[in-house]
Amino acid sequence: MKRLLTAAFLAAVGTGAQAEDVTLQLKWVTQAQFAGYYVAQAKGFYEEEGLNVTILPGGPDIAPTQVIAGGGADVIVEWMPAALAAREKGLPLVNIAQPFASSGMMLTCLKESGITTPADFADKTLGVWFFGNEYPFLSWMSQLGLATDGSAGGVTVLKQGFNVDPLLQKQAACISTMTYNEYWQVIDAGITEDQLVTFKYEDQGVATLEDGLYVLEDRLADPAFQETMVKFVRASMKGWKYAEANSDEAAMIVLENDQTGAQTENHQKRMMGEIAKLTAGSNGALDVAAAERTVASLLAGGSDPVITKAPEGAWTSMITDKALAN
Amino acid sequence: MSALWLAVGFWLAAWALNVLLAGSFLARTRAGRALVPLLFGVAVLVLWEGLVRGLNVAPVILPAPSVIAAKIGAELPVLWQDFAQTILKGAIPGFVIGAGAAFVTAIAIDRSPFLQRGLLPIGNFVAALPIVGLAPILVMWFGFDWQSKAAVVVVMVFFPILVNIVAGLQSSERMQRDLMATWGASYWQTLWKLRLPAAMPFIFNGLKIASTLALIGAIVAEFFGSPVYGMGFRISTEVGRLGLDMVWATIAVAALAGSVFYGLITLIERWVTFWHPSQRH
Amino acid sequence: MSRALPVLTVLAGIVVLWYAAAVWMNATWVYDQAERAGTSVAFRDMVAETMTQERPLLPPPHQVGAELWKGLFGQAVTSKRSLVYHAFVTFKGTMMGFGLGIAFGVLLAMAIVRFRAVDMSVMPWAVISQTIPIVALAPMIIVVSSQLGLTGRDVPKAIIAAYLSFFPVLVSMVKGLRSPDQMQLDLLKTYGAGEWATFLKLRLPASMPYFFASLKVAVAASLVGTIVGELPTGAIEGLGARMLIGSQFGEPLIMWAALFAAAILAGLLILVVGFVERLARRRMGVPG
Repeated sequence: MKRLLTAAFLAAVGTGAQAEDVTLQLKWVTQAQFAGYYVAQAKGFYEEEGLNVTILPGGPDIAPTQVIAGGGADVIVEWMPAALAAREKGLPLVNIAQPFASSGMMLTCLKESGITTPADFADKTLGVWFFGNEYPFLSWMSQLGLATDGSAGGVTVLKQGFNVDPLLQKQAACISTMTYNEYWQVIDAGITEDQLVTFKYEDQGVATLEDGLYVLEDRLADPAFQETMVKFVRASMKGWKYAEANSDEAAMIVLENDQTGAQTENHQKRMMGEIAKLTAGSNGALDVAAAERTVASLLAGGSDPVITKAPEGAWTSMITDKALAN
Repeated sequence: MSALWLAVGFWLAAWALNVLLAGSFLARTRAGRALVPLLFGVAVLVLWEGLVRGLNVAPVILPAPSVIAAKIGAELPVLWQDFAQTILKGAIPGFVIGAGAAFVTAIAIDRSPFLQRGLLPIGNFVAALPIVGLAPILVMWFGFDWQSKAAVVVVMVFFPILVNIVAGLQSSERMQRDLMATWGASYWQTLWKLRLPAAMPFIFNGLKIASTLALIGAIVAEFFGSPVYGMGFRISTEVGRLGLDMVWATIAVAALAGSVFYGLITLIERWVTFWHPSQRH
Repeated sequence: MSRALPVLTVLAGIVVLWYAAAVWMNATWVYDQAERAGTSVAFRDMVAETMTQERPLLPPPHQVGAELWKGLFGQAVTSKRSLVYHAFVTFKGTMMGFGLGIAFGVLLAMAIVRFRAVDMSVMPWAVISQTIPIVALAPMIIVVSSQLGLTGRDVPKAIIAAYLSFFPVLVSMVKGLRSPDQMQLDLLKTYGAGEWATFLKLRLPASMPYFFASLKVAVAASLVGTIVGELPTGAIEGLGARMLIGSQFGEPLIMWAALFAAAILAGLLILVVGFVERLARRRMGVPG
């Protein structure tokens, strides 16, 4: 009922001058990956800034980019490759803050598959997430010179579901994992770390920027919206830093917000610990060098690049400059 | 804005024409019966096009039919590959295996009223269950390729078909069965000559229900892991890439495939059950 | 009693088969683990281990039962961890979709029976609409409805459920409203009854048995639609959402428990609809 009221309320004032309502669309289901926002809400950081923030969890069929295009959110959490690809499709997304300094994406392989270096990927089956998350993988493969269309000498790509079963069932030699989630599920399943070989995108020099905050370009021209976003980013980063420092408490806050009730304390506490490593060192401001590296990596896609030309104005420090100034 | 008004105008004109057609002698001809729904479909597409153009709906929200049609034309090989993977390898083998298994099971339990009484309520119950929930589990068991999709389809179609066959086999009348008995017909002769033909309307009813389930099952299962082609894969991936024109192109193919599949079963039904009152025109 | 015995026998057979399959399917993992650890396991130990795995390929019935029990009765029904709570969320979605589906199905059937043009134009498309896999449309429905200002996830869910459940109602109602024969229609004409009176006094009552017969199918379809709507569309609660989380975090027990909770819900819904149907039939004087 309460949510219904908020929704009705949002619909009623959404077009008016009262710009202090913010709707945030997450990239995936409620989990510690988004702890900063939930902490900022639970600890009243948003409230202190005079914001009324609604956090919408995502899911396998929800593309944050599509939600923001449809006006269903003011700001979204998205990975830079997907955001840049959407920008090329004519949806002018702009990065306003980058809470995640480093990438948590890895390829995790069973040692028994005989893989020791990326060169061994040839003729193996690799599990990859799609739905906008495949871009970093595709650009890495094309840099390695491995075809992904199933031809001989290339790699066979399988779209993995939402879990690590393809590796456990040996349907794939390697699967995509995040340092904060799936990797630990493999370990939980009883496979020890020395039975695994992992390739971090970060170490391979193909890392792309992950969870950042994106808004639509035309709305940024509005000073009132700018002001709201400054407050939002400031409060969110306060939430992130709190979550980093109080990782267990943050995990419990996330658990409080998980409406499926199916998440466990174990998973979330561990996830929060790993997430803290990725947000460490970011004050919210985008590292332009890292963004340019992301662009370069995406452009280097060989015959089938993820984006065809370097984007202009895909990020701005306008918001973080103000948010971090005081 | 004018595009919108044009479209609305076209819609009204088409509707008026349909009302005229439906009232005229043409409505009794085969051509008329095909023309009216066709005109209606075209009018809906035109209205859609007008809405999208007139209201400037962003293509990442809802692409116009013309854009989708262009996409279908441009991406035929990809669409064919997806179709082959999902329908030809996933849905149809699954449907055939499921229907075959249901048939064998129905015959196997036919001689045991005890088993029938036990299996029928359970079958009826399972037929009403949200079997789609099994999709992630079956993908885990049978791998990511078409085998797991076929498995989902088998499970989804098995019970509706089984229940209908069992009900159909019981539909011949006592008097008819007695007549066969007086002729000295064996169990198998009675089954073949009387009870199976009598069961056909029921069986086809089950097959029709199962045909739409088969498509849903094959597509949902692809959401939980698949190779990098297939209709479910295409839909979920292209939504993430904001390639909405491709999503709708795939939906169009799915609708077409579903209708053809359904139509095919209806045709076979007409041919097999020509004697049934519902087929007399 | 004579009706329960066969059902119980078949159920017992299923449970036995299930246990056998659980041992067979979960064994691979036990052997693999032993091999990785460099030990071997006796058959007895293997069987014992397949019964208690944390992430079994196929959990044996008692594990699912225990998880289901925990989910249903382990906490207050208002808790987010309670399956009762999530079943209620799904139930709400199902009822919204069911209601919407009935309303749409009945109204469309009325239009089809009354206007020949509607019949000829719409009926073939209604059949085709059911061959479109609704899951493919789910993301579209969410975005378009949020575009229209319906931000909650309840509405898209209900639309998906209604999409699946309207069709059986439509087909039965068309049949039912057309069921009065010419003689009955003529009789009403001789009474000087208008079209509306004929509808209220003859067609509508005549269609009721057909209507109620379609409800069982429609409610089951509506439940399937709701779960499909919850599964991939980031609905944050409900049985479908739990299945998704169970799948993502590799917790097969959560998935199986949610699946069985859905089965129980389906059973209850069908029982209730069947009861309403019998009640209605009795009131209208149909024997049985």
